Amino acid sequence: MMPTNLPYERMLQECLRGELRVVNAGLPRSQKQLSTLLREEYPHIVCSDGSTHSFKKKELEHLASMIDTDKQESLLLPMLIELGPNQAEAAIICQTDVEEKVISEILNMPVTPKQGRITIYKPQLALLRKALKTTTQYVFSPKILE
Amino acid sequence: MPQQLIKVRPTKIELVKLKRRLRLAERVQKIVKDRLSILTMEFLQTARETVEAKRKLIDAFSETYKALSIATGYHGYIALEKELIATETGPKVAAGLRNIAGVRIPSFELRDNGKPMRGYNLVDTSSWLDHAAQLAEKCLEATVELAELQRSLELLGMEINRTKRITNALEYMIIPGLQATIKYLNMKFEERDREEKGRLKRVKVLVARG
Repeated sequence: MMPTNLPYERMLQECLRGELRVVNAGLPRSQKQLSTLLREEYPHIVCSDGSTHSFKKKELEHLASMIDTDKQESLLLPMLIELGPNQAEAAIICQTDVEEKVISEILNMPVTPKQGRITIYKPQLALLRKALKTTTQYVFSPKILE
Repeated sequence: MPQQLIKVRPTKIELVKLKRRLRLAERVQKIVKDRLSILTMEFLQTARETVEAKRKLIDAFSETYKALSIATGYHGYIALEKELIATETGPKVAAGLRNIAGVRIPSFELRDNGKPMRGYNLVDTSSWLDHAAQLAEKCLEATVELAELQRSLELLGMEINRTKRITNALEYMIIPGLQATIKYLNMKFEERDREEKGRLKRVKVLVARG
């Protein structure tokens, strides 16, 4: 075997570095309360890369119909879905009990948060994403690399 | 297929660098694979929704056409056209972007409380026209929904292709190439050690003789 120089190696290295930046580019700089978003004409948040993430009014109204008016301030959007090292599972980051109520209502099953996270499986994730397209966001956890 | 070796100087520092690069490549492969699985799941979901939206759109248009034909028959073509031209307005669509695992997807939403078609004189028109207008609003909604889904499908498809190419490059070119080069360097160092030992033995014999 004679050593040869791979022509695309440098280019691929650049691509790979870019890939790491891209996956979490859509993370929100800060989450907004549901009640605040409902008041906005064009509800949106700013992502970590400076782009905007728009919410659908219909979806926000659907969420608002699920919970009491006084609890709308506790629900921070977008809800973050953390993808960990186990590919079959995903975890929803849960700061209050409102998320728990919303998720259990959408999935039509009781869910229990463990250490601030609700663990769901891939088929349930598809169901959740179908119902909450703009109000949920993926997070690629650094634990993936472990 | 024999793996191509990366052209490096056979030194220990290069070996350490290659090992570090291999670890990085394996980590990135993990992320890219996860991203690919998420994108594929979203793509399949969008494809299913697109089929459903298309069916809904065709049904809505056929129903609207029927209702409009009845309304035209009732009012007469010229009277109906006169009534509708006066109230013609463009629909208001709120457009934005959302991000799915690094892919920016357009998001469209029809505004005006979903009733952009009403504006004609209710005294001079009948309930047939109301019914046709109601169905036309559904058509508009279905069109906007389909536009969003179809573009999402295209963008997700393109991103899946790109990600798959990266995964394949990592899996079949970069990682095996790095592994083969590390193996080659290790073998070279072992060979050098053996040569060194042989040389030392030979020197020892020569010194003992002399």
